[in-house]
Amino acid sequence: MRPSNEPFFWAIFSAGGMIVAFLLPVLVIITGFLVPAEVVEFRQLDNLFGNWLVRLVVFGVAFFSFFHAAHRIRHTLKDVGLRRIATPLAVVCYLAALAGTVWAAIVVL
Amino acid sequence: MPGPLPRRKSNAWWNRGWPYRIILLRELSAVAVAGYMVLLLLLVCNVRGGEGAFADHLEVLQSPLLWLVHAIILGFAQLHTTTWFRLVPKAMPLKLGGRRVPDELIVAGAFGGWLAVSAVVLVIFLVVA
Amino acid sequence: MTSEATAARTVTLEVFRYHPERDEEPSFQSYEVPYREEWVVLDALNWLKDEVDGTLSYRWSCRMGVCGSCGMMVNGLPRLTCNAFLREFLPGPIRVEPLRGFPVERDMVTVLDDFMGKLTEVKPWIIREQEQPVEEGEYRQTPSQLADFKQFSMCINCMLCYAACPVYEHEEEFIGPAALALAQRYNLDSRDQGNEQRQRLIWSDEGIWDCTFVGECSAVCPKNVDPAGAIQQAKVEATNSFFLSFLPFTPPGMGR
Repeated sequence: MRPSNEPFFWAIFSAGGMIVAFLLPVLVIITGFLVPAEVVEFRQLDNLFGNWLVRLVVFGVAFFSFFHAAHRIRHTLKDVGLRRIATPLAVVCYLAALAGTVWAAIVVL
Repeated sequence: MPGPLPRRKSNAWWNRGWPYRIILLRELSAVAVAGYMVLLLLLVCNVRGGEGAFADHLEVLQSPLLWLVHAIILGFAQLHTTTWFRLVPKAMPLKLGGRRVPDELIVAGAFGGWLAVSAVVLVIFLVVA
Repeated sequence: MTSEATAARTVTLEVFRYHPERDEEPSFQSYEVPYREEWVVLDALNWLKDEVDGTLSYRWSCRMGVCGSCGMMVNGLPRLTCNAFLREFLPGPIRVEPLRGFPVERDMVTVLDDFMGKLTEVKPWIIREQEQPVEEGEYRQTPSQLADFKQFSMCINCMLCYAACPVYEHEEEFIGPAALALAQRYNLDSRDQGNEQRQRLIWSDEGIWDCTFVGECSAVCPKNVDPAGAIQQAKVEATNSFFLSFLPFTPPGMGR
């Protein structure tokens, strides 16, 4: 029985889950509906994303969301029948999350 | 004499009634979360690319397909929020004065906080910016 | 309630049958059973065994939701058959199967060795580094300390939670809901000092980390034990301990 490295990923998953739970619905309403309806305009978005603190928050949300999603997708696929390839599955999922995080860093820099 | 019947298993456990189906949908919300983060980062990218890049982005955003995609994402986001808050008191029970705080109270507190945070984010986008 | 079923005063039971010395494959056999409003599925099975087929095999004992031996799948969901009333399932048919996730000895009798082994492995008893001599009296506990674990101590080992758990269904190594909840019950007990002995097993990939919080274990529990909650609480503790282990010192109040 070797000690698990799961606490590390579970901690990020949980923190991400909390962040997503609090922020995602309102963010989807804003960027998915208020922006295309032009209630929120370029000037406002430009002001916001011009601020380094806002960009840092965007990066943080992206990092936690990607790893949250990767962890969940990994375990769901395992539960619906991919248990035999659990290890490569985990590697692929977390690498995808890492790629997303790197891209997020490039976007906000 | 033949022995006992081995364990029976099925990968379609998630189709054994609504509680299990909702759990699978809850887990699938992760796909919507990841997808939305890609859309959000693209928006940030194009806003920073200037008015021209944003205009192109806006045109795509206004297509019926993207409305639909965002509606689906919103559904999953809400499912995540609802299920997540309901499970919070199970993982992190609170005790006050030697008594366990009722689960319903913790859940209500989480939803209250969520409404407040959502209002603040809306104000930031609509008023402050 | 449909008038048809009550008027006919019978209900159909589709019962899982498997006798290894006779059957290659399991099958379902239909029986007409008298319908009585106050009858539970177990009463119907007892009537069948007494009046129709004495070879029908299943476990039961107390008939009052305490012994935990009459758990079966009723219409696909794990239930104690002693508190599953026929009237809940009208107009029928009512399908009765052995608990999912366990090998089947015969009919509704399952092989329990795996669960019993796991139950022992998690050491569900109070462990003391040094037993206090009897003259010093009992180990005392405040109501608040009792409240920390009381819910998890109500388990009757009926194994409905295992039958509801898709993870256990696919991963026999998984320690599973009831055993993990009982481990947590003793870990949270102020009189117990066995936390470290249980950790190696509980905090492993086959322990709490196999759980994906489907939560149906808690939904089907006839005693409201909430194994899913117990497992998540253990995950929080294991995670705190994991990160704290990287600190060069033990923060005050964190040593056990």
